[in-house]
Amino acid sequence: MKVIIADDHPVVRQGLRQMLALEQDLTVVGEAKNGQEVVELSRRVPWEVAVLDYNMPGKNGLELIKELRQRYPGRAVLILSMYPEDRYAVRALKAGAAGYLTKESAPEELVSAIRKVAGGGRYVTPTLGEKLALELEDNRGKPLHETLSDREYQVMWMIASGKTVRQIADELFLSPNTVSTHRTRILRKMNMKSNAELMHYAIAHHLVD
Amino acid sequence: MPPSSITPSDTSSSASLNSIAEALPELLPAERPESAPQAKILLVDDEPKSLFALQELLSGLGQNLMVAQSGEEALRLALKNDFAVILLDVRMPGIDGFETARLVRGRERSRLTPIIFLTAAADEMSSMFRGYEVGAVDYLQKPVVPEILKSKVAVFVELHRKNERLRESEEKLRRLAAHLISIREEERAHIAREIHDELGQVLTGLKMEVTWLAKRLKEKPLVEKTDSMCKLIDTTVQTVRKIATGLRPEMLDDMGLIAAVGWQAKEFQKRTGIRTRAKLPPEVKLDIDVSTTMFRIFQEILTNVARHSRATRVDLDLSVAEDRVALEVVDNGVGIAESDLNGKKSLGLLGMNERALLFGGEVRITGTPGHGTRVSVSIPLRERT
Repeated sequence: MKVIIADDHPVVRQGLRQMLALEQDLTVVGEAKNGQEVVELSRRVPWEVAVLDYNMPGKNGLELIKELRQRYPGRAVLILSMYPEDRYAVRALKAGAAGYLTKESAPEELVSAIRKVAGGGRYVTPTLGEKLALELEDNRGKPLHETLSDREYQVMWMIASGKTVRQIADELFLSPNTVSTHRTRILRKMNMKSNAELMHYAIAHHLVD
Repeated sequence: MPPSSITPSDTSSSASLNSIAEALPELLPAERPESAPQAKILLVDDEPKSLFALQELLSGLGQNLMVAQSGEEALRLALKNDFAVILLDVRMPGIDGFETARLVRGRERSRLTPIIFLTAAADEMSSMFRGYEVGAVDYLQKPVVPEILKSKVAVFVELHRKNERLRESEEKLRRLAAHLISIREEERAHIAREIHDELGQVLTGLKMEVTWLAKRLKEKPLVEKTDSMCKLIDTTVQTVRKIATGLRPEMLDDMGLIAAVGWQAKEFQKRTGIRTRAKLPPEVKLDIDVSTTMFRIFQEILTNVARHSRATRVDLDLSVAEDRVALEVVDNGVGIAESDLNGKKSLGLLGMNERALLFGGEVRITGTPGHGTRVSVSIPLRERT
């Protein structure tokens, strides 16, 4: 598979080149360090997959994706970005990218992503996949935490953040009894039995860090 | 809306007045104390002789004396000049002194201009009260005692000077604040970019190198070492990103204000557990400086909510109209007290106001004890970019 790579940082390009050189079926056919060079390179050499940094000088990532998709509808653009997936991936995919990876991803992930998109597929990370699935689910019905009152939500968040009843009571100027009552109601509304379940839910739904 | 009675009238008399002024250049201010700009003083009397006498009397003050021979003329001059004080003869044909004073005071520009009425002895107390009703500041009986008149006028000139200086220094402070705000914003953006791009990319490169190395290693302890190195690099990248975003969210630059506000609201809910609902308009590209201003004000509002409100909920509404962008943030907390709005400690609130003012916008804060606080921000848009 013929791959072009683009990144404004020489260290990253070098790293990518070395990494991809270890794979028998992948060949780096060209490198670019800004948007303009990508456009020129894409005309000059034959390629199947373009691995692009999201944020290079010259052209912004979305414009570049759109431009390449328009000129080469059959080929794949894979974004490799410093920016966190949760804010940027969906936009990139909507603009026509075949996949979005952050630079923290394991190199194996990048290699398998390249193989996947070269075959015409799309690649999303498991984390993003889960998030998209949750959003679908949330659209179907109200997610459980939306059934909580504002105060209950706050108490739930504090429990999920690992705070004790005592700490919560102190911070909210409530009596421990009141906090316990809130907790009982929260667990009932959310069909849960323990704080651990709450924590798990909160993390899965990105309600806490 | 100038009353219709104010029309250029009696040009012959004002011409004669001018000729007096021209004939007596030596009476016009010659020496000036300090290098301060001259204050303008308006002398109004229908009697050329009285005007002449007043001019002569006050010439020693070294200020810019202007003269009018009728109420109409005085009004016309007051429209175009800021006077330190107006000396106003009460008895004049046409618009008399009181009516002139009322009209002068009725205009925004001369609303606070001090007026000294000059009146003949016969007018006595009743006219004095009439004078104060229309907002006179002082009152002298004719014939005036030169020393008293001079010292009174000198006091107003000094007051005028001080006001001017105060206004100038306020203006300077405002410009300085604006300068500091924009410098800080630029520096933050610069540092954020440097940290994120340079440091972040080097770390990425480093990770790739380590991975390359790892692939060549066979011994288990060495592979474990490279694994932990990779993890360490990942954590560092995350820290770098957090620092950079804290300095200046990159979203503001590449996705615009609306996406950045939505993101900040989510982050706030995640960080504080305070349920935050955002009503956002469809995305539209706005001037970056206005966007930054609005975003920073929004962050300051959220900081206040987290620190002081004890709220469990925040509702925000961002809207973009043709000519302005508006943000309303309402919480259900304890409500800000009136005394806190103007307190010396409320530098954060002052900062929000200053930021908005730079772009001709405004911040309004209202609180009801026990029923939350509402902050409304509105900033005009110069033009869509």
